[in-house]
Amino acid sequence: MRKTVYIRFTIVLLIIGFMLAIQFNTVQNPETRDTRDIWAIRQELSKETETHSELLSEIYVLDQTILKYGNMVSESAELALQDTVEQLKKDIGLVEHTGPGIIIKVEPSLESVALGQPVEGISPDLLIRLINEINRFKANDIEVDGKRIIYSSPIRDVNGKTTVNNIPVRNAPFTIKIGTSTFEDAQKMYNQLEASTIGDDFYIDNLKLKIGKPEQNITISSYDQALNNQFLKEVPEGES
Amino acid sequence: MWLPLLGLILGISLGLLTEIQIPEIYESYLSIAVLAALDTLFGGIRAHLQHVYDDKVFVSGFFFNIALAAALAFLGVHLGIDLYLAAIFAFGVRLFQNIAVIRRILLTKWSERKN
Repeated sequence: MRKTVYIRFTIVLLIIGFMLAIQFNTVQNPETRDTRDIWAIRQELSKETETHSELLSEIYVLDQTILKYGNMVSESAELALQDTVEQLKKDIGLVEHTGPGIIIKVEPSLESVALGQPVEGISPDLLIRLINEINRFKANDIEVDGKRIIYSSPIRDVNGKTTVNNIPVRNAPFTIKIGTSTFEDAQKMYNQLEASTIGDDFYIDNLKLKIGKPEQNITISSYDQALNNQFLKEVPEGES
Repeated sequence: MWLPLLGLILGISLGLLTEIQIPEIYESYLSIAVLAALDTLFGGIRAHLQHVYDDKVFVSGFFFNIALAAALAFLGVHLGIDLYLAAIFAFGVRLFQNIAVIRRILLTKWSERKN
């Protein structure tokens, strides 16, 4: 009799403990509520729409490539592949870019010249910030003081000198070239850079950003160093 | 004696480890169910100490009380009246009464043993 009572109590307590634990879990980790206001949601929506249109244009390009492959299968598959390779090289910056863009001049600020302060080089942090800012505005190609920026370009401090692709950047003045796909994009980039606060950050370092007007034709040099492939390997000829 | 405690610890750890969460709207149902279960438990302990414990009454009371409390809460939600307050009140009062009786019985037993 006594034992059955204890077993009953045990089962009931097990259920109670389980319910308590679930209640505790629920109270401790409440589902996060969406507290964004309409403007935040709108902003996110516009960001998503932008991504959507970007993806659409990407799909269009890929569709074109597929179409080209289809057309060229009978004629020359090699030509189509060559085309793709060229396009890929262009995308990552191994080919010279000629097209619309803007040129930014980095100069010592007037105050530092008037006060005779020594011109210091640009710091890597500031340069990275500028390049991030430029990339945010959808730049295709960037060249800093003659050094082409590609996906793996290091920007860092080497013995007190700021280097890009392991080559030191000159002290101001030097130029930064930005290539865009269309002239409209270049105009947009110009306006966005003019409006951005990046100029103030340069001013703190006694530097001045002189953003040039959008141009129809600028030339950005290609990346001239060897690319290290970590994972890709060349297939010997005759094999596939 | 230790078996019920073990059950409680096992139940709590089971609940915490499985990390089950219930939607917010069912939270009140669960809390009232917990209260009903506790009420039945203390009622059972009291009955056991008073030697009037009945297995059927205890088990049926446990499930029936939980179901009734949840049903009251459900009805309250749909009628727009906080009926679950009635259940909380009833269970709360009974809980305190039962605990008071248990305390008295235990105190009497303890003083008897001392003498």
